[in-house]
Amino acid sequence: MLAGAFAGCRGRATAVPPSNDLLIVGYDREPDTLNRFSTHILEDIQTCVVEGLTTTDEQMRVVPLLATDVPTIENGGVRLRADGGMDVTWKLRPGVTWHDGKPFTSADVQFTVDAINSPRYNPESTDGFDRITSVDTPDPLTAVVHYKEIYAPYDIQFIRGALPKHVLEGRDIDRAQDYNRNPLGTGPYRVVEWKAGEYILLERVPHYWRGDQYPKIRRLLFKFIPNTNTRINQLKSGEVHVVALVPWDKYREISGLPSIVVAKTPGNAYEHVTLNEKQFPPFADVRVRRALISALDRQLFVRTILDGLAPVADGPIQPVSWAFSNRIIRYPFDPAKARALLDEAGWKPGADGIREKAGKRLAFTIITQAGYAIREDMAQAIEREWRDVGVDASVALQDGTAISSIWFEGRFDAMLHWWQMPSDPELTTFFAADRTPPAGRNINYFRDDELTRLLYASDRTVDRTTRRAMLERAQAIISEAVPEIPLYNVTRLDAMPAGLANFKGNPTNTGIFWNVHEWEIK
Amino acid sequence: MRLAAVVLACLIAAAAAAPVVAPYAPDRIDLSIRREPPSATHWFGTDELGRDVFARVLYGARVSLAVGLLSAVVAGASGIAIGGVAGYAGGAVDAVLMRATDGFLSVPRLPLLMIAAVVLQPSVPLLIVLIGLAGWMETARVVRAEFGAMRELGFVESARAAGAGHVRVLTHHLLPNAAPAVAVSLTLAVARGILLESALSFFGVGVQPPQASWGNMLYQAQATLATEPWLAIAPGVFIVMTTVAVNVAGDHLASRRSSER
Amino acid sequence: MHAAPGGPLAIYLTNPNVRPEDIERLRRALGLDRPLWQQYWSWLAGFLRGDWGYSFSDGRTVASRILERVPATLELVGVSLACAVALAVPVGIWSAVRRGRWFDRAATIASMGGISLPAFWLGLLLQVVFAIGLGWLPSSGRATPGLNDFADHLRHLVMPASVLAVVLASGWSRYLRGSMIDALRQPFVVATQARGVPPARVVLRHVLRNALGPLVAMVTVDAALLVSGAVVTESVFAWPGLGSLFTEALARRDYTVLMALLMLSSAAVILFNIAADVVHAAIDPRVAA
Repeated sequence: MLAGAFAGCRGRATAVPPSNDLLIVGYDREPDTLNRFSTHILEDIQTCVVEGLTTTDEQMRVVPLLATDVPTIENGGVRLRADGGMDVTWKLRPGVTWHDGKPFTSADVQFTVDAINSPRYNPESTDGFDRITSVDTPDPLTAVVHYKEIYAPYDIQFIRGALPKHVLEGRDIDRAQDYNRNPLGTGPYRVVEWKAGEYILLERVPHYWRGDQYPKIRRLLFKFIPNTNTRINQLKSGEVHVVALVPWDKYREISGLPSIVVAKTPGNAYEHVTLNEKQFPPFADVRVRRALISALDRQLFVRTILDGLAPVADGPIQPVSWAFSNRIIRYPFDPAKARALLDEAGWKPGADGIREKAGKRLAFTIITQAGYAIREDMAQAIEREWRDVGVDASVALQDGTAISSIWFEGRFDAMLHWWQMPSDPELTTFFAADRTPPAGRNINYFRDDELTRLLYASDRTVDRTTRRAMLERAQAIISEAVPEIPLYNVTRLDAMPAGLANFKGNPTNTGIFWNVHEWEIK
Repeated sequence: MRLAAVVLACLIAAAAAAPVVAPYAPDRIDLSIRREPPSATHWFGTDELGRDVFARVLYGARVSLAVGLLSAVVAGASGIAIGGVAGYAGGAVDAVLMRATDGFLSVPRLPLLMIAAVVLQPSVPLLIVLIGLAGWMETARVVRAEFGAMRELGFVESARAAGAGHVRVLTHHLLPNAAPAVAVSLTLAVARGILLESALSFFGVGVQPPQASWGNMLYQAQATLATEPWLAIAPGVFIVMTTVAVNVAGDHLASRRSSER
Repeated sequence: MHAAPGGPLAIYLTNPNVRPEDIERLRRALGLDRPLWQQYWSWLAGFLRGDWGYSFSDGRTVASRILERVPATLELVGVSLACAVALAVPVGIWSAVRRGRWFDRAATIASMGGISLPAFWLGLLLQVVFAIGLGWLPSSGRATPGLNDFADHLRHLVMPASVLAVVLASGWSRYLRGSMIDALRQPFVVATQARGVPPARVVLRHVLRNALGPLVAMVTVDAALLVSGAVVTESVFAWPGLGSLFTEALARRDYTVLMALLMLSSAAVILFNIAADVVHAAIDPRVAA
């Protein structure tokens, strides 16, 4: 101990300051694979290496990346066929090469579709790809994708990029460890070293297609630090420079530091309380649901537990989305109204203060994920306020892996949960009557036929104005019926060095590295 | 030693009297007074939800002490049973049981308990049983050594010759003589139980909030260690204090025993 | 472990684009749809043959995942053991020899504290004081990436090794003291001193040999356990060894990795025990007889 302290006494020599030579990112988990199609959980590292035809920017707009434009009906890129299908024509940017020098062509796009749809490969999701019947490649820079039905999110179909045909053709992709550990891409960086359990090191490629001056930062190091406290401590001591998704309860610790800047980006995710009508039938009564939401002082929660860092949410579509509508019903904190509604619904307070009806107590369990201080605190505060109006909700914590399969099978009463919404405003899997588990994520088991019809119609509408009108009506229905209790919008907090220029946050899963080629330490 | 006994007595009394002594209910949430440092109204400050830390430490004492003491009982009971049979029977039975004990001792306790906790998601009673079942080996060894020694010295033979049945020999002759050694082993088990519970709760798989235990208070205090250190200091100090007191007591018993010999 | 809620596939459910059909397909591909006993049997058969299977999380072989973490754990455990022995042996001996005096009392208090401390609490405190507060030492990890010098390595090792060394040394010094005291009271020791042999020689030649034996046993068992289970310390200090592999695998329900780790640690303990017996016999010939 003494020897070490002696060695350390030479000054704060443990931290390397951020520079255009090396930027260190504190990352919360080691990825299993860098193959963007095998697992979508963590994509920040991959985003620097593998690029898609399009990407989503800081305002969640779809912008072209390796394609020259986003195909639309107006520009002729999308053609609706008479048989109910559609054709999307992608024009690829000329002069783009893979890092090994081979050109990026439409053959790679075609190969990607075939590989994903092949039974021999197990990507995490084949969503959308399974609606593609075939891909034509009239020339190396044009790919025509034939869908068998109208598919609204076609524009982000290739957001993850393409698999290189000349590397992976004919191979077992699941076991292609050379690719999975070091994917061939077209992006500003390539993988130089992956030290298991410790870090992944990326280095700039010599000739990035945007120009030799990009990227500005030579090396990126992603250090794996699963323990949140450790990660933030390293940020404070300067051992890491960038941390994405800083938990809100850590904001106070780092907001005052002169060397760190915390960027706030409204997110495309929201926390809510799911009310499982199937498992706990009293939730099926809309008066009970309205009472439950009115009993919660959500503004107070946001102001205190979240330190005012995130705004209250009133619906599943977030303000960052083009489909967001303000014409919805809101429920301010009103415990008197909550009590009146419960009385009206026939739930009268029993001897111990908890309401009963026909011998059954209004008592259930609310589960939430363990290990997140904010969620644990929120659950306990919610329990408290519900108890004040005579509802007995007992909190049970589950670890992250357990909770996923619990909600997937619908085995819970109520759950404090969050959804990261897809950048395309599709709500069908969450609210359509026939998309209850295992067919979808309608874990409220909520049923409204008009809503179901609207959502399916909107999925098949490519014209944005029409689609928006449908989704507006859908949001209004959801706010009237309160199938779940929206709590707050998940604002992203990303910490970076004060000298970092050109950072632009990103509300989606694409992550903050979507424009890493522009980053520069001044 | 006297100090240790006094400390323990105070802790147990305070824990038992918690509902009377605690100035506030341990789960009383008040979002307007979150994260307050220690003051006249809140001696140990308040936590993330405005709950009084002193009250939570008192109620936490109940849980942590209960887990420590009761798990030691479970460990002791099973240890005595297994070690007793081994030491009394001798021969092949002894050999088999002791190999089994060694086998169990070769599996690292905390990882095994963590796996068990994740699979079973135990309530506090089940947690006590699990921690107890992870600790019988030491007691079994001690009991087996004691019984074995007494058997070799001829105690068993003479008692049986006097007409005592097996059970009587065990309960009236062997057990009382082994009691001091067992007592030492049990106090160590109590200390181990308290530390195991706090480690499990630290990983979030022990006692679940909102119920307070010293271990899970530390788990919740981790997140705000730099800005609100008092949340981690109070439960940690109490764990150390209790464990030290128990260990001192055990030590005292052990040295008394070895000076008697 | 299959009984645990969740499973290796649960982690995919957080992604909105993963549909139930995808989960089914993945389940079949990983063989998780076979009956439980069949899965266990094929795992066991493979394990004994040396095929430890593939990790569910990243598809690499379990063997490679474990092997790449071994050096880090060996380094931490090795250094901690060395420090603990260097600390425990002198303290234990001196406490026994100067029994009842101030050194003994101080050492007793210190070691009582040491065995009563939750290791993670000590780790957190050290981090707050030395890393955040004073900035002398890095708060976690094994090395600063890019730097390859010895001093940097040493700085990273100091705190986690200290935590382990303190916890171990506390228990060992007490134990050593106890067995030394017993040995010092043996008749032959008194007799030797009566013959005029200087006390230091008495201690070193005769007493130590007797007392060391049981200590060796303790050290080796603790060493073996540490190899698999320095779980807490590795977690707090983000040390990339077997302990943190365990917590990661547990969080992701990576059964193949977990089973392999448990088997390994049991095997290690058994091996170390055999080694301990050998060393004990070498030190104290009476035992071998």
